[in-house]
Amino acid sequence: MEDMISFENIIAGYGCTRILDNLSFSVSEGEVFGVIGPNGCGKTTMLNVLTGSIYPISGSLLFKGREIGTLASHKRCRLGIGRTWQIPRPFAGMTVYENVLTSSVHGAGLSMEQGAEKAGGVLDEIGLADKKDTLSGELTLLDRKRLELARAMASDPSVLLLDEAAAGLTENEAKEIMSLVGSLKEKHYTVIWIEHNIETMLNATDRLMCMAEGRNVICGDPGEVMESEIVEELYLGKDI
Amino acid sequence: MRHNPAPVKKRAVLYIVLFLVLLLAGITGFPGNNILRYGFRIFLYITIGEMWNLLSGYAGMTSLGQQAFIGLSGYSLALATTKYGLPFPLGFVSGLIISFAFAFVLSFLLLRIDGMYFAITTWVVAEALGTLFMSMTYVNRGAGMTITATPYPKIGVLYVMALILCALSLVTVVELLKSKLGLAVIAMKDDKQAAEATGVNVKRCRRIVYLIAAGFTALAGSLFFLNKGTIYPESGFDIGWTISMVFIVIIGGSGTVAGPIAGSVIYVLLSEFLAHYPGWSNIILGALAILMILFCPQGIVRLRRRIS
Repeated sequence: MEDMISFENIIAGYGCTRILDNLSFSVSEGEVFGVIGPNGCGKTTMLNVLTGSIYPISGSLLFKGREIGTLASHKRCRLGIGRTWQIPRPFAGMTVYENVLTSSVHGAGLSMEQGAEKAGGVLDEIGLADKKDTLSGELTLLDRKRLELARAMASDPSVLLLDEAAAGLTENEAKEIMSLVGSLKEKHYTVIWIEHNIETMLNATDRLMCMAEGRNVICGDPGEVMESEIVEELYLGKDI
Repeated sequence: MRHNPAPVKKRAVLYIVLFLVLLLAGITGFPGNNILRYGFRIFLYITIGEMWNLLSGYAGMTSLGQQAFIGLSGYSLALATTKYGLPFPLGFVSGLIISFAFAFVLSFLLLRIDGMYFAITTWVVAEALGTLFMSMTYVNRGAGMTITATPYPKIGVLYVMALILCALSLVTVVELLKSKLGLAVIAMKDDKQAAEATGVNVKRCRRIVYLIAAGFTALAGSLFFLNKGTIYPESGFDIGWTISMVFIVIIGGSGTVAGPIAGSVIYVLLSEFLAHYPGWSNIILGALAILMILFCPQGIVRLRRRIS
């Protein structure tokens, strides 16, 4: 299968602090690619590099074979990269519907009429249609997570980046959001998914990458990755 | 922002009728010159208030330098009419073009900065312009310039021009907020990074909003100085202009279209009344703004909604 995303020796960070250190991996089309690793290992920074929130210092970042390392964030969204945030960031001054509409008209480049139709469809799909007129700042955490997903999907992405979709949720809420995320594969999205709930990642991902100190330390079949010595050492706190 | 066509249509008819009544008042002059003068000032303050509200209340670009465009347009009018003998409408056009050009060039610097830095930079630029005009012999330095127009427009004509400008600014803001750009503007105010990741071209949107605000503020400045007849660096580039915009938006309600309308009426009437108490006016206006921030931060328009 064709590579959708390819990181080749990416170095990136904030100011003088280097977070990603020669990070290399690739994700194929239609794949659900899980990313695990201890706190501070660079998982969210990797997503930030991919969406253009920060630019790599060196290395090559390819999307469908095209170099996108210097492309502005909004252009990457329009190319087909949608994301959710670890701590939901809805546009609080807008209703749920307007949040999703913004994504469909700007991200997917639709007209207001087409965008409205798209937004309505996505809200139905995600289960937020009954709350479409609620101000997004007034939503519960679970609904804000749903809205994040709806907003990302409304931009018509081919790649969805999920940053700890279940973080902060109760067990039942996490199950709900996980079943939503699980359904993304059937919709033929390519997914890069950061999560701390390793059990979920084992069952729902095609491949798993473990990161440490900004590097790809092991990547492959989720079961094999989880049984590897290096991951065990990382999670038990031993030196690598 | 809410898309409900039926009440919107009804309201649109009401606004058109109100506009026609106000227009008729200006054309016939029946309310008398004094009332027309009040109307003229209110319409101009609504225009600049709406523009500051668009910048700060909706787009999160709090500018303290909008007086730059008032001064530039006022001086353009003075130069066009007095130095080059052009009719005043051409003075308006030149003021608009110069303000647009200045705002466009300035936007390359301003779009790189945010928040407090944006506010301070706009203020410093406006102050620098004031100082520059104070030292330029081309514009008579601090002695200022007169504005000549033959025949000089009567207050009824000025009132009608201010009304049309005000109506245009309101229609622009309302239509902008209903458009794709409106969604982008509100999104980028709430969260610039998330807006970018949602496909919003934040730089482009910020530039468009800044240029619109500069254009309308410039036209309002031209009209104000056409009525006044003279311009000095201290009056054109006075930060008092921006302070009045801030006051209008705080009193009326930030992030609402109706807010600056209510704020402008209160501001003009109050400042007219307080003109009898020199020295006290700024203290009272300032105290009122502080009270509003403390007890009714969302402005008088939302207070009225809360009560009703």
